Amino acid sequence: MVDASVAQRLVDDMISNLPKHDPGKRPVHTIGVGVDGYFTASDVARKYCIAEHFSGQRICAKVRFSNASGSPEQHDGWSDVRGMATRFLLPNGAATDLIATTLGEFFARNVEDFFEFTKFDKQKPCQRESPWRKILDMLQLKVPRRAPYPGEKTNAGAGILSYANRHRFAQLAVFEAKLIGAPVSYARAAYHAIHTFMVEGPDGVRRPVRFSWQPVAGVRNTNPDAPPDDNYLRQELDHRLRRWPARFMLMMTIGEAGDAIDDPTRPWPAKRVRVVMGTLTLTNVAEDQAAAGEHISFNPWRLVPGIEPSGDPILHARRDAYEVSRKMRGGIACPFFNRS
Amino acid sequence: MPNGGSWFDQFVNELPKKPWFKRVGAWILVPIWAWRTPVKPLRGGPRPSIQPADNLQSMMNLIMPLKRENKSPIGRAKAALAIAENKDQIFAGLDNVGTVHFARFVIVNDNICMFSVYDGDFSNYIRDFIATIGGVFDAVVALVEGGDDVLPSAHKVEAFIEWIRRHDLYQVPDTATDFLRDQEALNGDNAASGNDDLSLLPRKLILQLRANANVSLGSGYRAYPGYSAAQVRERLGIGW
Repeated sequence: MVDASVAQRLVDDMISNLPKHDPGKRPVHTIGVGVDGYFTASDVARKYCIAEHFSGQRICAKVRFSNASGSPEQHDGWSDVRGMATRFLLPNGAATDLIATTLGEFFARNVEDFFEFTKFDKQKPCQRESPWRKILDMLQLKVPRRAPYPGEKTNAGAGILSYANRHRFAQLAVFEAKLIGAPVSYARAAYHAIHTFMVEGPDGVRRPVRFSWQPVAGVRNTNPDAPPDDNYLRQELDHRLRRWPARFMLMMTIGEAGDAIDDPTRPWPAKRVRVVMGTLTLTNVAEDQAAAGEHISFNPWRLVPGIEPSGDPILHARRDAYEVSRKMRGGIACPFFNRS
Repeated sequence: MPNGGSWFDQFVNELPKKPWFKRVGAWILVPIWAWRTPVKPLRGGPRPSIQPADNLQSMMNLIMPLKRENKSPIGRAKAALAIAENKDQIFAGLDNVGTVHFARFVIVNDNICMFSVYDGDFSNYIRDFIATIGGVFDAVVALVEGGDDVLPSAHKVEAFIEWIRRHDLYQVPDTATDFLRDQEALNGDNAASGNDDLSLLPRKLILQLRANANVSLGSGYRAYPGYSAAQVRERLGIGW
């Protein structure tokens, strides 16, 4: 857990780097859409975790999909990380959240790294690279910089690249973010809860795990060579769910001793045991988007017995940073959030 | 993304798709950069095993170029026969090795290839392999460039293991940036951070694929990662 003033600084630093910020909105993942659905655990889930949502009964769920940008301007078609925050509403009246993004790793190992990142994450004017510069890049076997999107006057790409060049631990996340693109649908992207959690089985065995949502419809991005559409993801999801529910499989990867338990910048090897924990079925875009998309507040520490946070310093920092952000924008405090 | 730039800008954007520009890249630019910034071939074989699951379901992608005199349909037929005539011996041998999930032989152009997924240490796998089907494998290796130097395998075990490792493909890491770490480690750079230029990753990848023309891309998909062949057999009730 971090000092409250540190959490405030984290949020302030993020906001100060934004070209525009609406105080009533989230400082990141500003544009989003709330969706209703339900989760059904797999038959094997309860063998690994005693948390109630893995007991097998149908659990109501609320999901908020989002674009990672902190800008209040909507640019669905721009290459950007996407978020999928899920709240499981348990029959006993409690709730638990699982927050995931399309980025598999984070770019900071701890709060100090994050503050360092915010020094580089500055918006700078972006201009079209000259044809001669592009030719020079090609002659050096480098990929020319992408042209700015229509209306894109600034971005933080150069600063973030500079940060990654100085810090090898950040290079994977920065590289992946640079290539991430735009999904054709929020339901056609894979989302990763980058932190490690400790889950407890009925036999008392505690295991380090990482969760991912895999879309049953498959992963698919838009054509990067086509002009980006600024506003389509919400309508697409609405149309999709009116025809048929969308489903995600919750995959749980079990770590081993020696894996990067407390470091969200480091992926785990592909050889780790992976368990299907259940299926999330999304049924409809919520009618009250003010409540389901804006006022709802998630927190990765909203956990229930059977799941505990790891020692990941970024996970610890997010606990209070999310609360600071919620208070600043007047979000609804979760009545189920009783953990201290 | 259509950029709406000048005609010259659009012409430049289309350059990478032009056949003549691709030839300029392959025949002139790549050799120049390979000369200016030499890249060493990365070693094949499995990545170091640290945790228990790292020792499970490892891949071997053995690419063995046939000898010059065997680079023909007749030579390929000889290789195919060397496998086909000894199928029972190979299968029985792999049963006895006990740690192999899958194994198959493939002929690609003038290469005889063996692809397998196995548990345990690489050297021990090859050692067991020599002990159980070394005789059959010797018949295949005799058709391959440089194979005579390590035959009979039963008498040149260590040389044979090293020979197999040299013919096993470099396994590109699952993450793009870990490939940079492999290059750095090969050059003795194990620093946690350096003054890097991530924009050079495309060139570094191109030059590495020049040095290692054949590679395995990532560690691959596994439907049941983390389980050994013995565990799968035991849980399915078909163990031995």
